Amino acid sequence: MNPVIETRQASRHYGEGDTLVKALDEVSLQIQPGEFTAIVGPSGSGKSTLLQLVGGLDIPSEGSIHLSGKAISQMSGRELSDFRRDHIGFIFQAYNLIPVLTAAENCEYIMLLQGIAEKERRERVRAMLERVGLGGKENRRPNQLSGGQQQRVAVARAMVSQPDIILADEPTANLDSQTGADLLDMMHELNRKEGMTFVFSTHDPMIMERATRLVHLRDGRIEQEEHRA
Amino acid sequence: MGLTWRLALRNLMRNKRRTFLTAMIISLSLTALILTDAFIEGMSDAMVRSATRLYSGDAQIHHRDYLAQREESLAIDPDPFLEKLTQETDVSGYAPRVLAFGMISSAANNRAIQVSGIDPDREATVSKLRGAIRDGNYLDSDGPRTQILIGSRLADLLEVELGDRIVVSVNNQDTQGAEQQLFRVSGIFHFNARALDENTAFVLLPRLQEMMGLGESVHEIAFNFEEANQATQTDRPIWSRLSTDTAVAQGWTELMPQLATMLQLSNSSTLIAAVILFILAGLGVINGMFMSIYERTYEFGVLLAIGTRRTSIFRLILAEGLVLAVGAITIGAILGVVVTATMAAVGIDYGNMEISGVSIAEVIRPEYHINQYTVLPVWVLIMTLIACVYPAVHAARIVPAHALHKSL
Ligand SMILES: Nc1ncnc2c1ncn2[C@@H]1O[C@H](COP(=O)(O)OP(=O)(O)OP(=O)(O)O)[C@@H](O)[C@H]1O
Ligand SMILES: [Mg+2]
Repeated sequence: MNPVIETRQASRHYGEGDTLVKALDEVSLQIQPGEFTAIVGPSGSGKSTLLQLVGGLDIPSEGSIHLSGKAISQMSGRELSDFRRDHIGFIFQAYNLIPVLTAAENCEYIMLLQGIAEKERRERVRAMLERVGLGGKENRRPNQLSGGQQQRVAVARAMVSQPDIILADEPTANLDSQTGADLLDMMHELNRKEGMTFVFSTHDPMIMERATRLVHLRDGRIEQEEHRA
Repeated sequence: MGLTWRLALRNLMRNKRRTFLTAMIISLSLTALILTDAFIEGMSDAMVRSATRLYSGDAQIHHRDYLAQREESLAIDPDPFLEKLTQETDVSGYAPRVLAFGMISSAANNRAIQVSGIDPDREATVSKLRGAIRDGNYLDSDGPRTQILIGSRLADLLEVELGDRIVVSVNNQDTQGAEQQLFRVSGIFHFNARALDENTAFVLLPRLQEMMGLGESVHEIAFNFEEANQATQTDRPIWSRLSTDTAVAQGWTELMPQLATMLQLSNSSTLIAAVILFILAGLGVINGMFMSIYERTYEFGVLLAIGTRRTSIFRLILAEGLVLAVGAITIGAILGVVVTATMAAVGIDYGNMEISGVSIAEVIRPEYHINQYTVLPVWVLIMTLIACVYPAVHAARIVPAHALHKSL
């Protein structure tokens, strides 16, 4: 199978000279479809930097990134923007949602950008919010939802545009352990039943437990990899 | 409603106070512009009315050399002109006048003034003399030959009242000597314009023609147009129709070039005030927009990360500016109407102020003009949108990786 994402000796350096920080140092990684991968490592080890590179939000200082077989360095700004819209779902640690849009509108947003017809948008949003357990809360604004509910809307938004992969940077870090566990269960189920590919960065032992693959980072380098059944 | 408009509207409602304050900068700029324009408009019209409709007339016909030389012998035969003037449909009234520079003496005092000989009925179709009579009566063509109207200030200077005798002396063209005659004050007028109230007197036309030995000739034929602005249109055929080899018809812009220049100057001062106001208001709008963008940096990072194009972010900020401007302009225009109406009801009395030789004889009231509610709002709209371009470019250039640094 072709990898969804592939990094080839990708490095990301910040600063220069004495203050040069090698946030990522020649990382080569392939993410296969259907994986439930957790990137783990101490704070400052380069987890977020790696997710930014594979999500096309940042350009590697050296090496290359291939998204669905295409090198991002060859894409224009607009192509990259449209690529993220159509192929990648993002879930951040917090404040994922547009505060002035309702839960349903937040989910609908990307499909609006994609130009999907209204009827289909409505149907997919309704089904997806139902799926993440937010049926009946479609018209709430983010500030009328709990932190866990907001993260569920973020998952729904990432899922509903049917990307190839969802990148989640410490999605449970701001949640209490029970809420985090519920969110994780939900994503795990989406992975198993719908075959959605997930890549997390996390400190959360629960995620590490569920992950089919663990990538250990230290000082910007892959220190160790574990595959599980 | 499209996504951009929906987002723009809701984003503006997020920080109502800031939106209100930014909107007020725009609204009040428009109101200030409207009021300035209305006031300048009102003042210009009042000045032109004071300069023309009070006494001089919208236009005048003279001997070609009269105005340059002020020679009393440079008179014209009025009949052919009066005949033509009756046929001009745009002309609402006309009046022949004889003008003499003479001395007026009372028992107490004497003074050099301008004495005008007028046809009372014709004069009433051009000037406000009849309405300006404060004491006594207007001239009567069939009344005594000794009637004279003098200005209120002149009456004070001469220390005379109605019925008092005064002596007027002018030059006679035939004898080349002074001709003195006795008059009785039959009316005292008050134009509320110093030059007229202090230095003029009016007698019957034939009487002055006789004293000056002019026969049937006159020095000036003043006339008014149906519409005041017709007098400023120098390319109208009427001017050549009413001019001959010896006489020339001219509108007030030619007769009083200093007034015309002064009015143009006041237009350019409005423009300068508008530019300064625009710069200040523009900076206020830029500041307001930047504050709102800085607060939302993270949010723009998210929007860009999930696939929003930079051009859409740019459009969103401009849409916010547009919605803000349209709301603010509506408020500003309403305020403009209210303030203009209030100021117009009260009026501003400059009490006899003279601007470049013209006394403003009336209370100044700001005037509505269609431009104030079409051209000015469009300017303000353009100003707001231009002010939004810089913040919009800034927002569109946010780097998502930096904006999101805290999380991803
Ligand atoms: N914009 C930046 N400028 C300079 N240095 C940066 C920048 N972003 C990240 N770094 C540095 O790169 C390194 C990796 O940062 P990164 O955010 O990827 O770590 P992380 O593994 O996500 O840590 P955490 O678990 O705390 O989120 C750190 O040393 C960090 O200080
Ligand atoms: Mg991180």
